[in-house]
Amino acid sequence: MTSTQNEDRPAQESWLRRTRVGRSIFRTPSKATPRDRAAGHWSNFFLHIYPVKVPRKQITFRYSYYLGVISTVLLGSLVASGIYLMFFYVPSPASAYTDIQTLQTEVTFGQYIRNVHRWSAHLMVLAVAAHMARMFYRGAYKSPREFNWVLGVGLLLLTLLLSFTGYLLPWDQLAYWAVTVGTEMAAYVPMVGGDVQRMLLGGATVSAATLLRFYVLHVAVLPTIIVSVLMIHIWRWRKDAMLDTERDEPDE
Amino acid sequence: MNDETEVDLPGRGSVQKSGDSRVLGIVPGKPVAGERKEPEEQNLVMVWPNLLVRQAVAAMSIILLVLFIAIFADAPLRSVADPTNTPNPEKAPWYFAALQELLAHFHPLISGVLIPTSIIIGLVSLPYIDRSTFLQPRHRKVAVTAWTAFMVIWIVLTIIGFAFRGPNWGWVWPWQEWHGEL
Repeated sequence: MTSTQNEDRPAQESWLRRTRVGRSIFRTPSKATPRDRAAGHWSNFFLHIYPVKVPRKQITFRYSYYLGVISTVLLGSLVASGIYLMFFYVPSPASAYTDIQTLQTEVTFGQYIRNVHRWSAHLMVLAVAAHMARMFYRGAYKSPREFNWVLGVGLLLLTLLLSFTGYLLPWDQLAYWAVTVGTEMAAYVPMVGGDVQRMLLGGATVSAATLLRFYVLHVAVLPTIIVSVLMIHIWRWRKDAMLDTERDEPDE
Repeated sequence: MNDETEVDLPGRGSVQKSGDSRVLGIVPGKPVAGERKEPEEQNLVMVWPNLLVRQAVAAMSIILLVLFIAIFADAPLRSVADPTNTPNPEKAPWYFAALQELLAHFHPLISGVLIPTSIIIGLVSLPYIDRSTFLQPRHRKVAVTAWTAFMVIWIVLTIIGFAFRGPNWGWVWPWQEWHGEL
């Protein structure tokens, strides 16, 4: 990589400074030293979630598959496409299904945005699970990063819950019976199972109350929680990004 | 008075001898403060542009993949929900297919409650159980083998539940009858 080799030299000088006339005007070289660039990074709001430097090895595609970034981007894609879908959808059994039909046939890009939302959701479940599998092999849950792994487990569960609550919203046969099967499992929990199931469904079976509950969870409650937990997850990554990830001698 | 004289030590060159102190002897071996450890120089790169450009490549690749899939594959929409008409098979979403497959083999209390609960508890407590400080897989054979075995079992169960189960949860070959739902 040419960009990484020039790392500690000043950035490319502007064309004006490189000319003979330019040098006679400015005399001093460009001020973009590594120190200036670090200061620029440090004072940039959008870069505050990044350290200024990271170990060279950690950025290679061989070391990292960027599954965390991919999961986050898919979450962003889901929020964007989901907001579009919310404009055309009312969560009631009388209108939910026809709203989806209208969305697919009459709304501009309706079918396409719904496809983006659906496939992003499936891919996000895959990406988050793959991210966790990779982090295990890298030993990323080892001290002092134990708690970030725990947050990651929470994010996986939230991803599954978001996916599952969204599954009901089209109110078709696929949605209705998948959620029936899923919530029947809750009923097997000893002692409180029946109550848990009734609380999820808002009744004995999947009904109008269930649709409204799942909708509120899907568009308000769970997204808020997952974004909050994700912020803590990323913050802790940023604090730990400078850790030596290659040590393999046991610390006595 | 000039006290500065040179004292020759066999095999160790010479040391200065001043008026205030005398060299009584030189002891070979480690310094009293212990072995001096030079901090290893970490090979660091600036996040901008090195990391951010790579993250942008990953981000744009996945966005392109989603936008591309969405052109050719429509999200499914079956007939309107009908509580009186139970489809056969009744399938959970694919990410719960492994659990649904287990449901066919064990009592629901085991497959629907005990197994998922212990998986979640196991994942959460993993960092506090596996306390070795080794990072590389070749030094963590037990943990890596257990994890790989768990993943293989889970993936196989998911694929069976998703694609190899038909009416009444009976075995079907996916190339003959397709019952998987996304």
